[in-house]
Amino acid sequence: MAKTKTIMKIFTIADYEEEEKWLASQHGKGWRLTKVIIPFFYVFEASEPEKVIYQLEFKESKVTDDYLKMYEDYGWEYFGTYLGWNYFRKPESEIETESDREIFSDAESKIAMIEQVFQSRIWPLLIVFVAVILPQLSDLDKDVFKTSDIVFLIIYLVLFGLYIFAIIYCGLKLFRMKKNLEK
Amino acid sequence: MDLKLRKIYVPMSETAFYILFSLQQPQHGYGIGQQVREMTDNEVSISPGTMYGTLSKMEKDGLIELVREEEKRKIYQSTDLGKEILQIELNRIKRLYKNSIGEEYYG
Repeated sequence: MAKTKTIMKIFTIADYEEEEKWLASQHGKGWRLTKVIIPFFYVFEASEPEKVIYQLEFKESKVTDDYLKMYEDYGWEYFGTYLGWNYFRKPESEIETESDREIFSDAESKIAMIEQVFQSRIWPLLIVFVAVILPQLSDLDKDVFKTSDIVFLIIYLVLFGLYIFAIIYCGLKLFRMKKNLEK
Repeated sequence: MDLKLRKIYVPMSETAFYILFSLQQPQHGYGIGQQVREMTDNEVSISPGTMYGTLSKMEKDGLIELVREEEKRKIYQSTDLGKEILQIELNRIKRLYKNSIGEEYYG
């Protein structure tokens, strides 16, 4: 059996370009992606080092046969879908023109994908934050030093921090990516 | 015609134009892509994500319709509305071209 390795690595929904590059660099070093374990684990298998391009597409709707067929026609191997992201890859040897390297050939469709991420990830996150997490802030100051409440407080603060990070980091990064494409 | 649609599709992106132009005949996504490459000497190519997204949007807006499915490939063709929008766009491009080469435009 081929040697395998598992790496834990965190990519947020705004880091898909970094993730694509990282998967390609692993493949280039002879580590072919074989499995993604949600949310942070990547399983690789030792293989011949090969230049392979990885592309991720965020798509909320279910992957259909005709959709996959089109990617296949274009030479993209479908790897799988994880948390709304479809993973595709294609060996560089099959590239004829520059646009063969990407699953989107114009800024418009790249922007449309970012807007989809906003709509189904960032905005719901923000709504939960404002409607559920934020209102509890005012309840915190009472009786905080009871032990049960300290546990609650810690969980709350971690969640609070994660939400702030997710919304600010992902939101801003995606917003900037979108602005760059609109130029 | 719906004014909103007209605003969305006129003027059209190069991608949208070539897709709608190609769909005067029935064709599937990859086939359109190949055809467009040929027509433009490889200068315009449409990637699958862009192709799939544009076809879905045009179908939803009623510019094209599904004719049949062949080996998992959806074959589309433009509708009357699609042809009408294409014609408006073609006239616009003709005007643009005529003016650009210094010819007079009479509509």
